[in-house]
Amino acid sequence: MGILTVLWEKWVEFRRDFYKITVAAMISPLMYLLIFGMGIQTTSHGEPYLHFLIPGIVAMATMTGSFSAIAQNMSVQRLYEKALDQVMVSPTPLWQFILGQIIGGSLRGLYAGGIILLLTWPIRTDLIFNGLSIFIMFLNGTVFSTIALVLSFLAKSYTDAPRFTAYIITPMSFLCNTFFSTEQMPAGFRQVISLLPLSQTSAMIRAIANAEKPGVFGFVVLGVYLVVFGLISVVFIYKKKNL
Amino acid sequence: MIEIKGLTKRFGDFTAVDHLDLTIHTGEFFGLLGPNGAGKTTTISMMSTVLLPTEGGIAIDGQPLTRKASAQKRKLSVITQEYSMRQDMTMDEVMEYQGRLYNLPRKVIREKSDELLDFVGLTEFRRRTVRHLSGGMKRKLMICRALLIEPEILLLDEPTAGMDALSRRQMWNLLRQVNGRNMTIILTTHYMEEAEALCDRVALINRGKLQKLNTPAALIDELGAFAVDETTEEGLKSRYFHDRSAAIAYLTEAGAQASFRATTLEDVFVECAGRKIG
Repeated sequence: MGILTVLWEKWVEFRRDFYKITVAAMISPLMYLLIFGMGIQTTSHGEPYLHFLIPGIVAMATMTGSFSAIAQNMSVQRLYEKALDQVMVSPTPLWQFILGQIIGGSLRGLYAGGIILLLTWPIRTDLIFNGLSIFIMFLNGTVFSTIALVLSFLAKSYTDAPRFTAYIITPMSFLCNTFFSTEQMPAGFRQVISLLPLSQTSAMIRAIANAEKPGVFGFVVLGVYLVVFGLISVVFIYKKKNL
Repeated sequence: MIEIKGLTKRFGDFTAVDHLDLTIHTGEFFGLLGPNGAGKTTTISMMSTVLLPTEGGIAIDGQPLTRKASAQKRKLSVITQEYSMRQDMTMDEVMEYQGRLYNLPRKVIREKSDELLDFVGLTEFRRRTVRHLSGGMKRKLMICRALLIEPEILLLDEPTAGMDALSRRQMWNLLRQVNGRNMTIILTTHYMEEAEALCDRVALINRGKLQKLNTPAALIDELGAFAVDETTEEGLKSRYFHDRSAAIAYLTEAGAQASFRATTLEDVFVECAGRKIG
C-alpha cells in the first residue's frame, strides 16, 4: 500500500506539472538531436550519426528524467518543506516508501525517454525499440532514482540538488556512450567509464536498436548499482540519526 | 502510556536533550515547556522518529518506538512547529496523502476531511494549494491532517504559533474535546497561559534537562501562590509568597512602586529558566 501511496503522490505531481515536466524532458535531448544529429550531418561506422545518437539520447533522457524527479523533489521535501516528516511518523513501512520513490522516479524517466522515441518516430531510421528496450530504460531509471535518493539524503541544503546534477549527470551525459563510443577513449579511462550505468544502458539500447543482442554484463552492472544504492537508501531512511 | 528513559540527543559537541526521563499516562494532557533551545522540539522530533536518540529510548505501551515500529507509529500523529506539508498540494490532496499513508479507506478520508475542514472553517479553501494559504490556515490544516487518522497520541509542537487570539481559543476547545476522548496530548508551547489552561501536568526543561515536573497548580504553589512585582532601578522584579498576608505586608512596605497579583505558570517558568520568555 505504501508503494501505491507514493505513486499516487507522484501522479498528483505529474498531473499538476504535466506541461512543465514534458517540456523540460524534451528541450535538451531535442537540441542534441537537432544540432548533432541533423545540423552537423556526419556518419559513424558508415551509418548516419543520428542512428548512433538516438539510442544514446533515449538512455540519457531516462537518466535525467528519473534523477531530477527524485533528487529535486526529495531534497525539497526533506530540507525545505519538511514534508518527509509526515512520512517518517506514519506507519507506512519506510522500505515501501523507498520502493515507491524508485518506481515513481523510473516511470518519470521512462516518460522522458518515451517522448524522445515519439519525437524521433517520423525519422525513418529503422532502429528497433522493443519491450526489452523499454525494460532497460526502466531499469536505468531505477538505478538513477536510487542514486538520487541517496544523494538527497546526504544533501545539506536543497540547493545541493542542482550541484549533484552538475557533478554527476552532466559528465555522464557527455562521456557515457551517448555522443561517441567509449571504445574511442584511452585505456584505463575507458574501462572506468564503461562501468558507469549510463554507458551500459546506451550500449544495450543501441545493440537492440541495431538488431543485436545486448550483453548480459550490462544488466549485471545496472543490477549492482540498483542493489547497492537501493540498500544504502533503505539503511539511510531507517538508521540515519538526523534525517 | 509513553515512557521516555534516559533520552539523549547530541549534535556533535552540543547536547540538545540530556538524559530525559518522563512517563506520560494515557489520556493525559502533558505540557513540555522550556525556553528557546531547551530541547522541546528535539524531544518531539525523537518521539516522531524523525530524529533518532543518541542514547536512551521511548516506549509506547511497553513497546519500543523505532522507525520500523508501524504498530506504535499508527497511534501517533504530530503537528510540527514548521509547516511540514507539500507546498504544491491542495488541502484535499494533503488530507488524502495523510489518509493514504495511514491506509484509511478513501470514503473515510473524504468524510473525515469534510468534517474537519468544515469544523475549522477551511472548506471554501480546500482546492487552494498550501503555498497560497496564510500561516493560520496552514496551522489549521496541519491540525486537521493530524486528527484525520484519529490518533491515540497527539504530539503538538507549538500548535497555536501564528494564530490570532480567537483561533487560538477555538483550538484550545478542540484540543480539550479530543483530549476528552482519552487521546494523550503532548504539547510544547511558548504561551504559558495555554499550558496552564490545558495541561494536566507540565515538565519544565532547560538545556535538555528536566528541571521540574508537576501539575501547573502544584508548581505555582511550590513557588508561592502570591506575587509582588516591584519596579527597581534594575527593572521589574517579582517576589513570591506562600502566605497572602506576608505578600500584602511586603507590598505595604514597598509602597507605590509595587503591585500584588496571583502567581502564574509564567512566573514558575521565568524563575526556572532564569530569564523572561519572549
